Amino acid sequence: MEEENKNGDLEIPGTNEAREHGSAGELIDKPGFITKILSGLKEKKLLYNILRIVFIVLSSVISVLALSFFVLYLVPAITEIPSNRGPKLRVDEELHSDAAFKKEIASMQKDIQRLSRKYASYTSGQSYIVINTTDNRFSLYKNKQLIREGFCSSGSYTMLQSHGDKTWIFKTPKGKYRILGKTTNPVWKKPDWAFVEEGLPIPSANHPSRYEYGVLGDYALAIGDGYLIHGTIYKRFLGMPVTHGCVRLADDDLEAVFNTLNIGSKVFIF
Amino acid sequence: MENADSRTSSLTRIFLFAGISLLAAFLLFYLTMSAMAPARKLSRIGEDFSSGQTGENATDERKFSDSAYLRLLRDKSFLHSRIAMAETDSIYLTINLADSTANIEISGVAVHKVKMENFRVSKMLRKGDERLVYFLLSEPFNIEKDWSSIKKEPVMLKIAPKDTSEYKPDIIPDTSLVEPVNYIFQMTNGTKVYVYQSERDTFGERFAQFRFDLNDRIRESRDALGSVVAFRVPEYHPHIKIYLPRADAKRIYRALPRYGQVGIYR
Repeated sequence: MEEENKNGDLEIPGTNEAREHGSAGELIDKPGFITKILSGLKEKKLLYNILRIVFIVLSSVISVLALSFFVLYLVPAITEIPSNRGPKLRVDEELHSDAAFKKEIASMQKDIQRLSRKYASYTSGQSYIVINTTDNRFSLYKNKQLIREGFCSSGSYTMLQSHGDKTWIFKTPKGKYRILGKTTNPVWKKPDWAFVEEGLPIPSANHPSRYEYGVLGDYALAIGDGYLIHGTIYKRFLGMPVTHGCVRLADDDLEAVFNTLNIGSKVFIF
Repeated sequence: MENADSRTSSLTRIFLFAGISLLAAFLLFYLTMSAMAPARKLSRIGEDFSSGQTGENATDERKFSDSAYLRLLRDKSFLHSRIAMAETDSIYLTINLADSTANIEISGVAVHKVKMENFRVSKMLRKGDERLVYFLLSEPFNIEKDWSSIKKEPVMLKIAPKDTSEYKPDIIPDTSLVEPVNYIFQMTNGTKVYVYQSERDTFGERFAQFRFDLNDRIRESRDALGSVVAFRVPEYHPHIKIYLPRADAKRIYRALPRYGQVGIYR
């Protein structure tokens, strides 16, 4: 493509026009075809303006993206480069032969043993139950061994609002509890919300309509504040969050739990 | 006419150049201030550490570069931390980075154990001054606030019927709903614990995590920019990012109290 002219100089096709109209500097800055395109575009004003706007918009978007990337990703990455390193770890032989240091190490080892024993003692050999309210499952432990697990039902997280603007939230409390009482053939004494929920008028405290038989299964274990671990007639809902805060178990699971846990046994609900 | 045009054009260029220069200068200033933040955080931890080590209890610097001593110190610190949390009767989380496990514990009993799929730790916690890091990890972390993609308590409002004719039995809850689980605990000591679901199989899951992470970055950058504009070094938050199966991440978030505690073993 390159041709030699009469003086032996190299000539690049398409640059003659630019050379005719400008100096050597302009020749480098504006090659002929770009000049041609630009002047051609300037003649077609509409297209030139559209392209100009597109260029401005695109460069603005790219600038904003680059800035965002810099602020959101690059700067945090740079701050993660450690600048204040501490002393390097090593085994200091001189220090290890120091009597005071040896004594301190021995004392720390004793402390660790003592603390480990203390921590291990929290998980006693006594029976306990763990209730997982997120998955509605329970695990029963005896002598630190899992002896039974299965489905349960826990609080529905429903907030019941009465027309008198009184509210109740039906959730199972979380944390550490203890079995405070054990009952066979329990009778449910319906609280106020049970009537409000069904649109019934609230009866007096000991009205016969408050007592319902056979709905809590064969056993109930009280954990305080009116919350019970009991049976259910709604077995198809086991494994779902449907209760008013109590924990419901299937009949055979309830019997195992009732027979395994004693008054004072721990109940862990999470 | 041509003169006026060229004057406007050169003025535009001057303003553009000045604007870009100012922006570049500010970005450089922002970068410098941000880069100073980790060192500032370490020195603040160092001040707290030194204030507890005066007089006869002054520490022998050599001990803290001895790996055997630090291993014992680390074990003792974590046990101290766990016992402190166990005695509160509350639900707490222990994160053991050494064996990649996270436990939900109540009164010293591990009620749920999870194997982490992956985790990432700030370089300050990984490679910073060992004594200061152990000092930082020697106490339980208290949750100050959190941001989450799921609700802590998924409460549904139900208006009581006026009479029995309006009463409708409860609808069976839809347990098939799968929502992305990503959350952040900001601790009172400035540390942040990020918990991300490890499932990133679908575009939706990846996008949800990207959006959650981006929101956090925007919050952090907004705070940092605010500090830099006020000529203050921004607050640096050392972080621990753990990746857990979605179901486990959800259990942990729902189990922990709003201002719960977290113990970390490194």
